[in-house]
Amino acid sequence: MANTGHVTQVIGSTFDAEFPEDNLPAIYNAVTVEVKEGEKTRTLTGEISKQLGGGRVRCVALGSTEGMVRGQACVDTGGPVSVPVGQATLGRVFNMLGEPVDGRGDVAAEEHRPIHRSAPKVEELSTNTELFPTGIKVIDLLTPFVRGGKAGLFGGAGLGKTVILTELIARIASSHGGYSVFAGVGERTREGTDLWNEMQEAKIGDTGKSVIEQTCMVFGQMNEPPGSRLRVALSALTMAEYFRDSTGADTLLFVDNIFRFSQAGSEVSALLGRMPSAVGYQPTLATEMGALQERIASTNKGAITSVQAVYVPADDPTDPAPATAFGQLDAFIYLERSISEKGIYPAVDPLASSSRILDPQYVGERHYTIARRVQTTLQRYRELQDIIAILGVDELAEEDKLVVHRARRIERFLSQPFFVAEVFTGKKGEDTTIEDTIRSFEEICDGKWDHLPEQAFMYVGAVEQAEEQAKQMAAKA
Amino acid sequence: MANPRALDKRRKSIRNIKKITRTMELIATARFKKAMDRASAATAYTDRITQVVADLANAGLEVSHPLLEEHKEKKNGALLVLTANRGLCGGYNGNVIRMGTKRRQEMMNELSEVTLDVSGKRGISGFKFREVEMNQQFLQFEDQPAYDEVENIANAYLQKYISGELDRLDVVYTQFHSIAKQTAVVETLLPMGTLEGVPETEAKSGDEKQSEAVYEFVPSAESILEEVVPTSFKVKLFKCFLDAAVSEQIARMVAMKSATENANEMIKSLSMTYNRARQSKITGEIMEVIGGVEALEG
Repeated sequence: MANTGHVTQVIGSTFDAEFPEDNLPAIYNAVTVEVKEGEKTRTLTGEISKQLGGGRVRCVALGSTEGMVRGQACVDTGGPVSVPVGQATLGRVFNMLGEPVDGRGDVAAEEHRPIHRSAPKVEELSTNTELFPTGIKVIDLLTPFVRGGKAGLFGGAGLGKTVILTELIARIASSHGGYSVFAGVGERTREGTDLWNEMQEAKIGDTGKSVIEQTCMVFGQMNEPPGSRLRVALSALTMAEYFRDSTGADTLLFVDNIFRFSQAGSEVSALLGRMPSAVGYQPTLATEMGALQERIASTNKGAITSVQAVYVPADDPTDPAPATAFGQLDAFIYLERSISEKGIYPAVDPLASSSRILDPQYVGERHYTIARRVQTTLQRYRELQDIIAILGVDELAEEDKLVVHRARRIERFLSQPFFVAEVFTGKKGEDTTIEDTIRSFEEICDGKWDHLPEQAFMYVGAVEQAEEQAKQMAAKA
Repeated sequence: MANPRALDKRRKSIRNIKKITRTMELIATARFKKAMDRASAATAYTDRITQVVADLANAGLEVSHPLLEEHKEKKNGALLVLTANRGLCGGYNGNVIRMGTKRRQEMMNELSEVTLDVSGKRGISGFKFREVEMNQQFLQFEDQPAYDEVENIANAYLQKYISGELDRLDVVYTQFHSIAKQTAVVETLLPMGTLEGVPETEAKSGDEKQSEAVYEFVPSAESILEEVVPTSFKVKLFKCFLDAAVSEQIARMVAMKSATENANEMIKSLSMTYNRARQSKITGEIMEVIGGVEALEG
């Protein structure tokens, strides 16, 4: 006999239920309510998040609370929300509850796993540190990814976080042997559809298989209530963890957008009766983020390499939500508005972005030196910018003029045509090897390409293409 | 949102820069007036003496002067570049140095030996940076070049030209046309036969006069030429220095004026960002306090 209680209060996207005092559902347990909507009924799932005393529990609704009434029956499922895992999930699209939403029928999964689990233990964690090439110049040079590590794409609205993420999926997933999991957290549904279509077209290497066959996607987009957005990342993570633990394959986890996770938490936080903390966020911001991020880890069984987009509200990176996510990552890519305004994409800020492995110990002395030289040049240019704005470039010392000259070329050379942006740029995507990237930047820093016009450095791969482009420009002029 | 304290600091430093540029603008305006009076006074004299020499050269005299003759074999060239001792004058120095570098390259292609003489700290450091070796360096010319000093330099060149050590002298400087227009130019001063710089209108009227212009030389043509030709060269060189000085002041005036304007604009936009950042910080804190109170009560 299922443990049944009844709804006593509905407050926005949370509700209270009363259960027999001697048989309370545990925290994180899922409860279901049959909600009448006209003729039909639908099942609403809630998650226990607080025991109020007197047999009452407070739940976060994982769906819309519309149509709920007091006194409705509320059934304890006896455990947390569980999602299907395993091979059967590949090629499918799920919602936060693990129900398929792609209209392709039921998922015949052998196993379901609860979405709340503890993070791997310290002794299980993998200690390997290996560079993970992406073929994108600015990322490989300045913020190299770690295989089995976490990378974050930080940026304000409309700077191209999703485009870079999609590009990374196109680049990495299509040359990747393992499985990929995509979590859409509180972003536009349209982007999810685009991605799904794109994954069906994209092929993995020359196997003839499309990327989607090795991928499963979980969406809890911005139309969903906060409870759903709060847990969708966990659902996707649970699926990814299965691939890691059971198959040992390298697994990729893409999350767009981790900020929505914090935002959803803040939406329900006050309803759950927590005191708001800095900038109105929930006081448990760091705890929630930590619990999620710590699970995205590589163990000695297998690796999860994850790329996460992080929205930065009002372009303020000191906002608590992005700041909390920041500490968890190995590679940190910050997208800057002033760079996107110059028409340089990806609009990565070469000075604010960093990576844990940009260290001679991991990437080698040469790579490290060149990366630092590029940063020093750009740093000097940025310092000089006020002077240039006031007095003009002519007033600079000769050394500084040369720095400005090269910095402007480097700045433009950091742009790169993307595969997924081909329709916008009219240029085919460029995959640049790390060796080419390092050599190109070294030559620019050494002044070998000082004679080329700035514009020639826009949207090219290796530096030889800049030369090519300069010739074409000269021919046209 | 940017840090208000950092914004305020930046604004302060821009205010300081503005103070400097504003002062420089005023100083340049005062100096420009004086320099221009001197330059325009010299212009009339230079034009006249150039014309006289031109007339003499065209008068069909049998005698000639070594300075008017082109050396048959050209081997040694000299390039004199006139820059300022100080910066903060926009593209003034940069243009002259750029033109000088270009002309030097051209001369190197034609002549076997090219020496470079530079006046002004800015030019000296500019050529040092480009790793070009300099023969002579002059630092004594400020906004009012002295004729005596220029004469010394001119004499040295004349000596060399007559003795055959020098076959060609080019001067790079900023020519003063009007208050609104100054351009970096290259002029070949030696050999004088080329006679650049004869004002066109006067040259024309000179043509008409030429047939009538009959000069009587007393005591002799040689002695007159001996006197007039070197003077003409010196005056021309002096004129270059004067033009350079005036142009420098104008360039500084214009550059500093726009710098002050740019600084004003920047202060304005920074103030706006600063106020906004400050206000949003205040609003944020009030919101937090109110939120906290409400949560405690509720």
